[in-house]
Amino acid sequence: MARRVLIVDDHARFRRIARRALERDGWTIVGEASDGEEALHAVRALEPDVVVIDVGLPGMSGLQVARRVRDEMPELLVVVMSTRDSADYHELAVASGARGFLPKAELSSAALAALVSD
Amino acid sequence: MPVRMRMEQAVARAVAGATDAGDAYTRALQAIAEALEWPLAAAWEPNAHDPDELGCVAIWAADEEGPRAFADLTRTLSLRPGEGLPGRVWRSGRPVWITDAALDAHLPRQRAAATSGLHAAVAFPVRSERGLVGVIEIFGAQQREPDAALVAALEVAGAHLGQLVERRRAEGSRHASEQRYRATLQAALDCVVTMDHRGRVVEFNPAAERTFGYRSEDAIGREMAELIVPPDLRESHRRGLARYLAGGAPRVLDQRFEIEAVRADGTRFPVELAITRIDVPGPPLFTGYLRDITERRRAETELRESRARVVEAGDAARRRIERDLHDGAQQQLVSVAISLRAARDRIADDPIGASALLDDAIEDLAEGLAELRELARGIHPVVLMEGGLEPAVRGLVRRSSVPARLLSAPAGRLPHAVESAAYFVVAEALTNVTRHAAGATLVEIALTRANGRLVVEVRDDAGGGADPEGGGLRGLADRIAALDGTLDVHSPVGGGTTIHAELPCAS
Repeated sequence: MARRVLIVDDHARFRRIARRALERDGWTIVGEASDGEEALHAVRALEPDVVVIDVGLPGMSGLQVARRVRDEMPELLVVVMSTRDSADYHELAVASGARGFLPKAELSSAALAALVSD
Repeated sequence: MPVRMRMEQAVARAVAGATDAGDAYTRALQAIAEALEWPLAAAWEPNAHDPDELGCVAIWAADEEGPRAFADLTRTLSLRPGEGLPGRVWRSGRPVWITDAALDAHLPRQRAAATSGLHAAVAFPVRSERGLVGVIEIFGAQQREPDAALVAALEVAGAHLGQLVERRRAEGSRHASEQRYRATLQAALDCVVTMDHRGRVVEFNPAAERTFGYRSEDAIGREMAELIVPPDLRESHRRGLARYLAGGAPRVLDQRFEIEAVRADGTRFPVELAITRIDVPGPPLFTGYLRDITERRRAETELRESRARVVEAGDAARRRIERDLHDGAQQQLVSVAISLRAARDRIADDPIGASALLDDAIEDLAEGLAELRELARGIHPVVLMEGGLEPAVRGLVRRSSVPARLLSAPAGRLPHAVESAAYFVVAEALTNVTRHAAGATLVEIALTRANGRLVVEVRDDAGGGADPEGGGLRGLADRIAALDGTLDVHSPVGGGTTIHAELPCAS
């Protein structure tokens, strides 16, 4: 069961909250990144199973990062997140190779598990 | 020499020497009366406001009590057509001879004539090219039977006199009109330049002298194009004039347009111009009315730029709010949502863990509220509206990360726009100190009200070198200019920064 998670978001507070919410339910947070470059380094170095990526990153957008990550490591599971309007993002997320889209406010262990399980 | 000729000569001489129409009449009356040795003569004309009323416009009386008294009475009268001696002549257009006015019961002035010692009376028409324009009456000291020759002579005199007086009047009114025109030209704020059909200046008013830098005596006679038309436009001007004179349709007459002109020193400047043709006998004259619009253009540009800045400031403020909401309060609420969800998911199995998550949520919620409060204050500080400048600025001082002190604040409230502008000057100044003034240890704020103005001063002790055109200060400068105030930034390198604003506020 995929439980190693890399969190990619430019807001430190969110990374902290997400880590707390997931670690309590047995997820292992292998690392955090705050932009696309850091995310790519971290993916190669830490080999997570799941990467959760905020759409609104500085520089490379979250969707671009998702695509690059999936190109390099197709077995990785990517979940795209945002505080912004979710209605448009599901299609885009899937088109970028992600498993799905999750509004940040709905992040929970159960929600994440539902997305990454087969 | 017969009386008639003597009288005609006397009348002609009298009118020639007169200064105006009224004077012409009086001299003519004297000439007629003295030639005939009769003691009184009066001239009558219709009133300007009522052509059916005759009024006495001139009177000559011998220097004796009777004639003078009669003259005084006559001056006060106004007669209708057919009424009295002048009225009869006015209605019939024919002379009237009364043998003895003192005995004529039909005359309104019979009694007066008797007591004044006046008897014979003759009245005859005064004619000009327009026709019958007045009546002259003369009174003698004796009875006299009608004298046809005399009447004929008087009629001729009346015709001459009418023409002479009319001509005098026309000259006088033309002269007055010329005087008015000159005065208008001298005083006009706009430049008035007249040129003839050869393009030479015939008139150059004082405003044109001042604007273009030529004295009128130096401009008159010169080709106008050479003086005030920029070199690259001269040929086109000359061609246009030639084309118009050759019968071409007018292209520039009687419309207002903007064009460039050139001063004596060679500098070009924008003018608003209207040209009109003056109809005079012979070749035409053209008059141009010009206004230097350099200042107006500058003001229009400034207004346009200032408006654009205002719109941009509004857009920038909205972008900032959106960003502050997204980065701040929205993130807090996201955290709250996640924590609450997680707490709900474990409340049955792990109430202690759930409780810890709820504590997280409560903390994040409190921070979120604080962020929103701060944001709202940045948009529109309620304490300023409700409490005025002092409490609002004390709040800024309290929240400032660099130590700040309020030295003075005016008592009482000021107009809302003034309080708002002053508050944002202080807020922006404090923000700048926090962001840019490395090494600042103290910011002092002074608000004083004197002579109908509010003076705002914010002084820091950092290194100086602030950019007065920096975004925040530029926006403030516009806001303050809109209130007719001033904003100055004094920031010598190494000397700290002082921001000094003054806002008019009627005390």
